Amino acid sequence: MTDRPPARATPTLQMRGIVKSYGGATALRGVDFVARAGRIHALLGMNGAGKSTLVQILSGAVAADSGVIEVDGAPLTHQGPRAARAAGIATVYQRRTLVPALSVAENLMLGRLPRRRRVVAWRDVHDRAASMLADLDLDLDPQTAVDTLGPGSPTLVEIARESHRGGRILILDEPTASLGGHDAALIHRLVRQLAEGGTSVVYISHHLDEVIDLSDDVTILRDGHVVLTAETASTSAAEIVSAMVGTTVVNERPPRPARAHTPVLRIEGLAKPGRIADLSVTVGAGEIVAVIGPAGDGHEELFPFLSGMRSGYDGKVSLRDEQIRPRRIRSSLRSGLRCVTGDRLGTGLVPQLSVDENVTALHPRARRPLMRWRQLRAAAGEARARFGVVTLQPNPPVAALSGGNQQKALLAKWLSGTAVSACLLEDPTGGVDVRAKAEIHTIIESLAESGIAVLLTSSDTDEVMRLADRVVVVRAGRAIAERRVDDLTHDALTHLLLGGSQ
Amino acid sequence: MNSIGLSRTTTLRLPPALGRHAGLAAVLLLICLYLSLRSEVFATTPNVVNVLRQVAVMAVLAAGLTVLMAAGGLDFSLGSQVAVVVAVVARLLESGAHVVVASICGVLLGAVFGLVNGLVVTVFNVAPFVTTLATATVLDGAALIAMQGQSVSAGGALTELGTGEVLGIPYLLLIAAVVIAGAAATLRWTRFGRDALAIGGNAVAARLGGIAVPRHTVALYVANGMLAGLAGIMLLSRLGAASPGTAGLHLELTVVAAVVIGGTALHGGNATVAGTVLGVLLLGVVANGINLLQIDSFYQSVSVGVVLLVAAVVNQLRHRGRH
Repeated sequence: MTDRPPARATPTLQMRGIVKSYGGATALRGVDFVARAGRIHALLGMNGAGKSTLVQILSGAVAADSGVIEVDGAPLTHQGPRAARAAGIATVYQRRTLVPALSVAENLMLGRLPRRRRVVAWRDVHDRAASMLADLDLDLDPQTAVDTLGPGSPTLVEIARESHRGGRILILDEPTASLGGHDAALIHRLVRQLAEGGTSVVYISHHLDEVIDLSDDVTILRDGHVVLTAETASTSAAEIVSAMVGTTVVNERPPRPARAHTPVLRIEGLAKPGRIADLSVTVGAGEIVAVIGPAGDGHEELFPFLSGMRSGYDGKVSLRDEQIRPRRIRSSLRSGLRCVTGDRLGTGLVPQLSVDENVTALHPRARRPLMRWRQLRAAAGEARARFGVVTLQPNPPVAALSGGNQQKALLAKWLSGTAVSACLLEDPTGGVDVRAKAEIHTIIESLAESGIAVLLTSSDTDEVMRLADRVVVVRAGRAIAERRVDDLTHDALTHLLLGGSQ
Repeated sequence: MNSIGLSRTTTLRLPPALGRHAGLAAVLLLICLYLSLRSEVFATTPNVVNVLRQVAVMAVLAAGLTVLMAAGGLDFSLGSQVAVVVAVVARLLESGAHVVVASICGVLLGAVFGLVNGLVVTVFNVAPFVTTLATATVLDGAALIAMQGQSVSAGGALTELGTGEVLGIPYLLLIAAVVIAGAAATLRWTRFGRDALAIGGNAVAARLGGIAVPRHTVALYVANGMLAGLAGIMLLSRLGAASPGTAGLHLELTVVAAVVIGGTALHGGNATVAGTVLGVLLLGVVANGINLLQIDSFYQSVSVGVVLLVAAVVNQLRHRGRH
């Protein structure tokens, strides 16, 4: 790291006073950010701190309400992704944008395949791709189809493509989110190499060890403000964590008496190669247990496994000592297990159907061979009231609701019945506003109070501190710690989650 | 059907549906008005009864297909199933089978075809489009084999069904009305129908909510096959004989066109039997008009295609407007 340009080098990218709000919610409140040529600048923040908004503004996907963006001293006058790209800003998102069935070479030159006499010159394609890969020391065969590559390689291909297209300011959004050590190391090497070649890299990550090891500078966002920006070498993991977490406790955790819980839901040895290894967790009646991991990590396998949505898992589940086969969805529903997805419109609700019909989809009284709309409405009314679903029209399609109300309708659909004894809640407050979040937290607590065993997966430390009795921390597909939340501080949990020795 | 919904505005989708079909109904009325001005025959009772008798077969198929498409399914083989049923029932009647026995055989045959389609779609997860296009092609050939390339007379056993009427209403029209009402009631008043809409709207959510999606899908294909059997018997009763080229893929394309013109989405989750009825009537009236105005019958296919294209574009524009 000693041969990098000094911290005072002329900035390649400068953002000043960036403000962005969505409706009433302010995502960024005057952010200054500087990225210098040849340096890796890590951008950190908890969920909702404003990282992704900042990335979207940089890449031109959304426009800032106010503020200035300068590249090489010249303000960016045009907006939109094309203008950003023309100015040399390239973004590699967490989701790959490669065409899986095409080869590495074709993906590297997507939309710009070399042609001779209007016909694709395949030899040029492969030669050029080979030399691009060789320049970056990447050991990949240009003719391999992308969908046959190993886990980390598509990310390498995409970074190489963006850099080759003239990305002098490269934004990498959690490029190692779900990767193991070896693949992550390959990406680190590539990033270092690009920086040495003069690219300025904005590196977003949840892994603290990685940030400390890789980056030259670090900027931390919290609630839309920059709370710390410094050379990485002059700071420490502890300082970074306390900057991210802050001192204010957003949600009061009401006192909850510690009590012995009779075990209800038991998962043993959940495993899926490359995603999660040997996860075991037990949840007692009335207990809330959280499984937390960085976004994209193995804890996200719990929902597809337990709900029976996907197969290919090892592991046993039992409910009150009776074994459950998750793939037999009807019988596991009958036994009182409910799995509530984090993707409410994708796998939870039927978007075109009405709110009433969605929230009564599992309601025994409303689901008779012959529909009785009056009874259905009555059952729906109860469920709506209990879960606080508010609608402007009497009974609109569920897709027309706000995110918070959709989320409450989702919970009402799966949890309003009487026969529920255990539930899995996947990221239950994802993409909802602060008020709805608080309301949903209260709902979840009252579920636990009624004796339901609540298993929670989340990437949000606030939420876990607020709700859970116990927490299991997953990192890189392994359960690395299990703690009582009463014995944890927010900082300590963040450390467990993000790594970095205290 | 529209009158059912007017009393309960909160849960029935029908009041918006009224507005939803206003355009299509207006187009239908305009065409009827034009035809009654251009041809003295059009607005006469015999012609109207004749048109309704002709569209009855199409209506039976389209009503069933609407429910199937609500669940995100599709069946291109219904017309070909009809062709085979027509041929087989005619042969059975010719060889002296009792009309009831022959008819039951026809309906069961349709059920078997539907079962095959449904199993291929659910067990092997083949796209419905491909599956039913393949079975349609097979069945078109099978129909020709069954009648050995020649017309087979059904004798007089079905004549009463084909030409008879009560209170001036042809039996065929009555049957069609019952099937249409049944389809509409299924979608509106039965869990089976609501589950079909849920499957079409979000198959994963439906499955995770405990709906047996494969079983449900197979049942829908079987029901459609049985309706194809019924439609085959109705068609045979009207024509009196099975001949090569009766029904088949071109009938099916018209049926699919009618459903799509009515506003049912190909991707499922949303379906309207009222729209389907209007679509069937529109195509029936257009065909009749081409006949009455003595326009070359080659233009019929052109007109069906044009109407379908316009309707599809209008539906798409309206859909986009909602988002």
